[in-house]
Amino acid sequence: MANYYNIDDILTEEEFVPVVFHKSANGVIIDPSSETNSVEQGAKVELPLWLAQELYLRQAVSISVPACFNQKTRLEIQADAACVDLKSRSPFFYEFGCKIVPLVGDKTVEVLLLSAFKIRYKEILTKAYTAAYTATSQFLTLLTKEETNLYEAAQSSMAAFKKWRMGGPRLQRASVLGRKRKPIE
Amino acid sequence: MHGRKAYELVKEFASGEKGHLKIFNNELFERVIEECNEHHNALQSLIRKMQEEGLEVLTARTADHYGALIHHLSLIRNKRCLMAYVYNRADIIRDLAWKVGLLHELPREIQEKFSDSEEQYFKDHSKSLKSYMSQLSLNVNVDMVPPKDPYIKVRVLEDLGSGIILSDKSANFARHSMHFLKRTDAEQYIARGLMEELTS
Repeated sequence: MANYYNIDDILTEEEFVPVVFHKSANGVIIDPSSETNSVEQGAKVELPLWLAQELYLRQAVSISVPACFNQKTRLEIQADAACVDLKSRSPFFYEFGCKIVPLVGDKTVEVLLLSAFKIRYKEILTKAYTAAYTATSQFLTLLTKEETNLYEAAQSSMAAFKKWRMGGPRLQRASVLGRKRKPIE
Repeated sequence: MHGRKAYELVKEFASGEKGHLKIFNNELFERVIEECNEHHNALQSLIRKMQEEGLEVLTARTADHYGALIHHLSLIRNKRCLMAYVYNRADIIRDLAWKVGLLHELPREIQEKFSDSEEQYFKDHSKSLKSYMSQLSLNVNVDMVPPKDPYIKVRVLEDLGSGIILSDKSANFARHSMHFLKRTDAEQYIARGLMEELTS
């Protein structure tokens, strides 16, 4: 529970995974195809990760690989990882992948994540250090949340370096206040 | 779906710019707590049902057991979301006290975003910071950037009038006027966007 208060971690665990129930459960409405408010044994349901994970540990369900790591995504990543829209697959592609691996026992997901990250990492840093903002807005829509954080970190380090070299005002308006609005005259 | 409302709450917090406070979403917050109560009731009734059937609640693995388990997990999840929402907001609020100003120095539009208990929290935090600083007789929330010179040149961005008395002088801080001030005095006005530092 190291990340108990971590917002991103909570959002990652809301991603849906396909599960098959080995036990039936009464008094819950989580199977949309069921007419009564219970889940039958053998029912196929999509559950958020936080629920699926705990049920898996108690041997109540089995989890299969989520759609965002399917064959189509793998082929696209093999073709050119830097151009794949991972954000629409899952905004927390890597974290989600890392959490899902021990649950599905599919070693190929690890390989997929690593190879995708290696190629994209290089691309992100190059873009963050060199390209102007307008040229990258298209590129930014493809990035997952983790990659966006990386991109922003790279950009701010570049900005800090430039500031250090050029000099300039060292005290600034607190960033928590947001951008300056026009004063009301 | 279970935990959906709590997810929306966390999502709303995450959707803003990093480190910016939004208005406390009381409505959704209350709704999640209500959902927790619903889960609690469902959990209790399932356990009662098991007891009436004469089953051992701790060991029986019936459909009712798994139903109760799902409600239990949903409760824990909702709790986590609520805790994270409050905790992360408290983080920002403490930050405000350090970076922008204590007590009434905080701009109105930010204070309006606090919930009642957050307002109290901010006040208490400011007070303890203040009393600590007076014990040390040292301002610990200035000079966050190591100074090169104790004095800096500033330009006033908004009309502050002549009511402000700084540690070594008082002046008429009209809009666009320029002053040579002690860095520690100017720092908090710059942080609030009322002055800007000029570099030669």
